[in-house]
Order: sequence, then C-alpha cells, then structure tokens
Amino acid sequence: MKPQTVLERAENRFGWQLVAPSLGVIGLLILYPILYNVYLSFFDVQLVGDNVFVGLENYQRLLTDSAFYDSLTTTAIYLLGTVAGTTLLGLGAALLLNQDFPGRNVVRGLILLPYFAPVISVVFGWQFIFDPVNGVYNYMVVEVFNLTDERMNVIRDPDLGVIVVIVFDIWKHFPIAYLLILSKLQSINTDLYEAAAIDGHGPWGRFWHVTLPELYFVLGTIVILRFIWNLNKFEEVFLLAPNVQTLPIFTYYTAFTGVIDQGLAASVSVIQFVLLCGLIWFYVKKVLKW
Amino acid sequence: MLGRRGLWGNLTLTVAVVLLLLFCLFPFVQILSTSLKYQADWGNPSLIPTQFNWDAYLELLGWGETEELAIPPSIERLLDRPGLTDAQRERILAPYRETADIFPFPRYFLNTILLAGVAALIALALAVFGAYAFSRVRFTGQAIIQRSILFVYMVGGVLLMVPLYQIAVGVGLAATPWGSVVALVLIYVIQTLPVSLYMLGNYFRTIPYSLEEAAAIDGCTRIETIFQVIIPLSIPMLVTVYIYAFIIAWNEFLFASVFLRQYDDLYTLPLGLQTLFVSKNAIWDRIMAASILTLLPVLVLFTFAMRNLTGGLAAGGVKE
Repeated sequence: MKPQTVLERAENRFGWQLVAPSLGVIGLLILYPILYNVYLSFFDVQLVGDNVFVGLENYQRLLTDSAFYDSLTTTAIYLLGTVAGTTLLGLGAALLLNQDFPGRNVVRGLILLPYFAPVISVVFGWQFIFDPVNGVYNYMVVEVFNLTDERMNVIRDPDLGVIVVIVFDIWKHFPIAYLLILSKLQSINTDLYEAAAIDGHGPWGRFWHVTLPELYFVLGTIVILRFIWNLNKFEEVFLLAPNVQTLPIFTYYTAFTGVIDQGLAASVSVIQFVLLCGLIWFYVKKVLKW
Repeated sequence: MLGRRGLWGNLTLTVAVVLLLLFCLFPFVQILSTSLKYQADWGNPSLIPTQFNWDAYLELLGWGETEELAIPPSIERLLDRPGLTDAQRERILAPYRETADIFPFPRYFLNTILLAGVAALIALALAVFGAYAFSRVRFTGQAIIQRSILFVYMVGGVLLMVPLYQIAVGVGLAATPWGSVVALVLIYVIQTLPVSLYMLGNYFRTIPYSLEEAAAIDGCTRIETIFQVIIPLSIPMLVTVYIYAFIIAWNEFLFASVFLRQYDDLYTLPLGLQTLFVSKNAIWDRIMAASILTLLPVLVLFTFAMRNLTGGLAAGGVKE
C-alpha cells in the first residue's frame, strides 16, 4: 500500500526516521556480518596479508573431518537432551506449583533463581560439585553408594561431560519453560475441568483432554525456541565442560585457538546458520502460523 | 467437584516441592558453603563449614591483609641457582603469589558495570524510538521490518564471532585497547537491541491511544508526545528493559574473551573469573567467593525488576 495523502506521507517518513538508527545498527552489525561470513567461508583467511580464494575447499575439508561429525553428534545429543528435559521439567514444575499450598509464592520465586543467576557465577559451583577430589558427586557415587570404585573426572570426559552439560542446562532453563507454562495454565477456564469431570474423566483424563490441548501452543513455542537458543549456546557449554564440543565451541576452537583457521570456522558458522534458518522457518510456519 | 487432596496427595505434593527446591537451590548453597570453608574442609560433604573462613571475601574486596603463601625450601634452593633468567624465576614463583594481583575484583567489577551500563543505555535509547514506530506509526515496509527483527533476535552471537572479529580487525578497532572496548560496546548493543525493541513495542501497545490524542490536541508534536507522554508512562518498563539488557551484557563471555584477552586491565568479570579458574589450581574458596560476589548485583537488580520482568517475559519470549 503506497501512502496517498500528505498526512500519510508524513507519517511514513516519521516512521522511517524513528526506526532508521536501529535498522542501521542491526544492518551493519548483524545482517552484513552474516553475508560477510558466507563470503569468508570461501577463503583461506590470513591473519596478516590478503585472503586467498579457495572456493569450496573449506566445506570439502569439513565434510571429510571426523571431528566435525563428532561435533554434529554432540550437538544433536545436547539439543535433544536439553529440549526434552527442559520442557518436561518445566511442565512438571508448572503443574506442581499450580496447586494450592502454603508458601507457594515463595517457592515460585525461588525456583526462578537458576535462570537469572549469571552463568559465570554458577558454572564453577557445578565444577566443584563434580570435582574428582572434593566434589559431592564423587563422594555420593564412590563412598556412599559404591557404584564405582574410583573417583572420576566426569566433566572432563568427552562422553560423560555432555550429560553433565545437559543436566546443567536443564537446571538453568527449566524455570523459563515453567514460567511460560504456568501463566498459560492459570488462564485455563476452570469450567472446562468441571465439564470434563462431569463427563467422567479422572485427573489423568482431565490432564489429557483439557490441559494438554490448551498448552499445545505454548509447549510448541518452548520446544522450538529452546532448539534455537541452545543451538546458539556458547558460554554454558564452554565454561562448564571445555571438552564438550557442540558446533559453537568447535567454531571457537577453530577460529581462535591452536592452528587458527577462520575461513574454516566461517564455513562451520554458515552450516550452523542454515540449520538455524531451518528451525526459524519451522517456528514461523508451524508455531506462529504466519 | 474436582475433589480435595487426601493425605497421600498432600504428602506427594510436599515431597515433590522439596525435591524441586533442592534441585534448584543446592548448587547455590554449595557455592556459598565452599566460599566460607578452609582448604582442609573442602572435601567434607557437609554444607556447614567446620570453621568459618572469611579470608576469600576480604581478599577479593581488598580489605584483608593477604598472607604470602610460604615458599617451600626446595623451591627456594631452585631459585638460588645462578643460571635462571628473571622470566623463569617469575614463572616458578607465580603459583605462590597472592591472588589479589591476578584477580583485582573491584576493577573487573567496575569494567563490567561500565561496559554493560553504556551498552544497555545505547540499546534502550535506540529501542524507544524504534519500538514507538512499530507500535504507533504506520509506514511502508513495517511488517517486513518487524519480522526481520524477530529473525535477527534469534541469530546468536556465536554465528557472528568470525565476521565481527574480521571486521573489527579490518577497520583497525581490534588493534588498540580502546578500539576493542568500542567494538565490544557495539556488539553488546546489537545483542540487546532486538529484545529491547520487542519488549518495549509490546509495552507501548498497552498505553491508551487517547492519551496521545489528548497530547496532540494540546499541541504536542509526535516527538514531544514520545518524550512527554510515552516515556514518563513507561518508566517501570524502561527500567526493566534496561536491567534485562544490562544483565545480558553482564553475563557475556564469548566476545569479551575474543576482544579483551590481551588487555588484562580491561577484563570483565566473566573473563577474569575464567582466567582465575584456569590459571590457578585449587583455590576453590576464592572462586566461590567471586561467584557469590558476581551473583549478588544481579539478584539485587532482579528483585527490583521482578514484577515487570516476569510479566514481560511471559508475554514475549526471551532472548538469552
């Protein structure tokens, strides 16, 4: 629709003036870098001197690199574990704290704490819990329950480390899932439950036929947004368990440590960006239904 | 009609609530407990220290006298060897130095406050106008711009680390300390701008349009309306969005580590804490005390912002 009258044209101009600074910053520092990243992925990027065009060589090297496939697998395990755990625990906590009991408001506030605590102020606490010498985890496993004979450094272990990261991530992010689900639960009309009870449904039937359908949209949003945010996660994984290489950590190591290869790192970012776009497309089409 | 809980119901509920609280709070209790323990006590699973040790806090805040760690005789003899260069001698001594000089907590604290504070302020200023345009003004391309904002809001900083670093190197910002700070502020602005636009836009829509019409009849221009009607009515939400953006920048580690790694005077708290952790072994009490001190400002800010924030988050969706 083109602006017709003088007033509409003035309004149009005013709107553009207001958004221009934001758009400028976003365009310059987000959209342009995304494109520049694609460009860099076709080059052998030099730290000093000119970049050399290598075509698809970075991608070829990635596709024959077993470390890249390991990273993809780790990312998949991490994403599935955290998304399922966060959503289920969030749902459980919301159902639980939707019940009436004394002190409920205090509990509701307290369980938000992990979500709002800065990552940096809690990761080392988690490291301490799993510390092979002093940590309470090894104390429980070895001394109390005798599950294994010797103390293990689970966080440093590339296979077990990802499990600790998943538990940590669930601990950190289930509160936001809980918050979104709870606010939806509170808006469900109690008449629906009364009606279902009259139809002869017990608590389970009421949950299945009333609660879940009402929560469908919010659960869908949580699942897909958690996939998106967690695909972008860096701090939580890197600071807790530097040996667990999800895609962002793989990119970071490639770009800034050891044999620095920013062209290769750019091509990992491009692949991650394509995955992200797929998720965003799914979110927009299936959840937001634009 | 829906029945009341019986004894078993109450019991299950209580157990479930207690377990949930334990899961959420245990790490915090563990951190606090370890920060107050002496080294001999660290392996003790009890959460109450056998003897309280406040040294870690005093040292971090620069109030306590820091005791030098005793240098063992074998190391002393090693140092007396004539062939040693100064650098080698320094490296041997490093683990015995006090931590205060490698972890100047007050300075890192101030660095982080300044960086996060300035970035959040710029983001908020830009967002006020952008969000007003989205919620109140009609212009061509509005829908597509709003959707693009939602899109960039989901593109994480990790995807941009290589290109942003290359750009900063290309324009010469990464070469000097202050250039790096400028680059970092800009990066924090773009990390917080989309979410600020989003939250503020949603909030502005709830302000009754008739107030603006009244202002227009009184002779206000649109810009004056923003300053005299919209902003005063949105103060609580502006504070909330500011705090939220501030916390995002306060937590940021990735770009701080990329840009500030070589300038240890400019370290932010996350970077300083991580450096302390990897460079020194077995100083759990200091690390835990530093964790608590990093946590406290956020908790204070959060209790201020809590009421608006939970509503805003539930309404919006969340940037992390």
